[in-house]
Amino acid sequence: MSHATPAPVQSGLTVSGLSWGHPLPGSGWRQLFRDFSLTCPPGQFLVVIGSNGSGKSTLLNLVAGTLRHDSGQIHLGNKPLHKLRDYQRARWIGRVMQNPLEGTCPALTVAENLRLAERRHRPARLIGGALIGMLGGIHPNGADRRRYRELLGDLGLPLADRLDEPVGQLSGGQRQTLSLVMATLGSPDLLLLDEHTAALDPRAEATVMALTDRLVRQLGTTALMVTHSLDQALGHGDRLVMLHEGSLIGDWSAAEREDLDPPALRAMYGAAIVAPQSSSAPDGSPAS
Amino acid sequence: MLSLWLGAADQGLAYAGLALGTYLTLRVLNFPDLTVDGSFALGGGTAAVLISQGAPIPLALGLAFLFGCLAGVVTGLIHTRLGVNDLFAGILTTTGLYSITLRLMGRSNIPLPETPAGILALPDLGLGLDGQWLVGLTLAMGGLILLISLLLATDFGLSLRALGNNPTMARANGINQRRGLTVGIAAANGLVALAGGLVATYQGFADVTMGIGSLILGLGMVIIGESVLRPRSVPQALLAVVVGAILFRTMIAIALQLGLEPVDLKLATALLLLIALAFGRLRIPGLSDQGRLLG
Repeated sequence: MSHATPAPVQSGLTVSGLSWGHPLPGSGWRQLFRDFSLTCPPGQFLVVIGSNGSGKSTLLNLVAGTLRHDSGQIHLGNKPLHKLRDYQRARWIGRVMQNPLEGTCPALTVAENLRLAERRHRPARLIGGALIGMLGGIHPNGADRRRYRELLGDLGLPLADRLDEPVGQLSGGQRQTLSLVMATLGSPDLLLLDEHTAALDPRAEATVMALTDRLVRQLGTTALMVTHSLDQALGHGDRLVMLHEGSLIGDWSAAEREDLDPPALRAMYGAAIVAPQSSSAPDGSPAS
Repeated sequence: MLSLWLGAADQGLAYAGLALGTYLTLRVLNFPDLTVDGSFALGGGTAAVLISQGAPIPLALGLAFLFGCLAGVVTGLIHTRLGVNDLFAGILTTTGLYSITLRLMGRSNIPLPETPAGILALPDLGLGLDGQWLVGLTLAMGGLILLISLLLATDFGLSLRALGNNPTMARANGINQRRGLTVGIAAANGLVALAGGLVATYQGFADVTMGIGSLILGLGMVIIGESVLRPRSVPQALLAVVVGAILFRTMIAIALQLGLEPVDLKLATALLLLIALAFGRLRIPGLSDQGRLLG
């Protein structure tokens, strides 16, 4: 489970022909994604930016399986995620939620939360789990705690001294830090970051983003980060894509992103108007 | 007077399985389960039928536990597979269980005139039959607390606690919510049915209506135990609800001693809980959450 040894680059994410819509309040239907495709090569840190309602968080939920797609396919390497339920996909996907309260169990201790995440990579067998659990002993035990202390210490996190405190007693930033560590335990094939700094103050945001960059680089994990922060979009990741109304309207590599004019991008982001010099085709092909 | 306290302690220990089951559903799984009203009577009826036909107590109580688990599985499946609201799923099962229990018992009331030989074989601590019951029930509850504490401290238990605390996070960590809830509700109802069997054995009869108001009784025991002991860990919480069950029965014994009519007991219990809920000192999911109830 250690973060100390970088894992080999694992699986890329391929979304193809994805369709998803939802009923509108009262009556009517909104088709957000229509034949949507996106490819994220193995080990790439992809940043998705878009205004409210653009579909960026929905895209993450569809990949994670918390929303069921209407049609299309989602593959992680050769694993057909679209055929699996969210808890089954969790074996390969680490996820950090937007709300620090959602990504952890506040009533459980730091060590218990870490144990849950550590167990994620083993199929959940709850019925036989009673007996197996008894035979497997008490967790988290002393050995688990030593391992977690070492892990958190290596990452320079003060949580190492608070393993037996309920997570509900931690600050929002600390919870989100813990949530990030949990999501990356065991080197998942895919890391999903859903506006994970949106609820944090600037200092906590900087801490969590620095840790995000470090963990993603260290693990070589394919990562998909959704954000509405232009600063984050311009400063993190290997590639930036922009979503509007369920369609890709911009796609830049890290090098291309360096040449972007922030005011133009801001205008494009705010008004969702495609700037001719930096836009891409609706199918998501790279911008010129 | 000693007999009064001993009797209250014995009754409290006999009812403790109900408190433990209520704790599992409401506090661990965050699931307001009305099945307990039916599974308590089912356990009592099962044990009474078997004991009256000469079956040993452990077998009778074991089958009561098993039947209770099955009742819980039914509620769990109705809720998780058919998508029926948690409260309504429990009501449906409880309603059906009334007929099943009545069929099982063959009549509405089964008397058990003789104290089971297993109890009479226990040391009495110089306190007579009440002492023998106290020894037997204390051993049984001590064993249950130990067993449940161990289970909840394993990865299996951690999964159940996570499901109750944050289902979204639990699913994101690979826990099957449907299966977890169903297993947890089954275990809780097994405990409640076990309590039904113990109560029937202790009081010397089983009645098909003995489960009415069980959820409220269990809730009262959990609240009293938590208020008095303020537990900070799972084993402490389990001990607290057992202590709460004893205190609850003791309060009832005192109230009866002070002249409260037995027929008014359930009303008094309900009013006590209503006051606690109305003043917001209790946050019971699905029961005290106005947003969910009033929509």
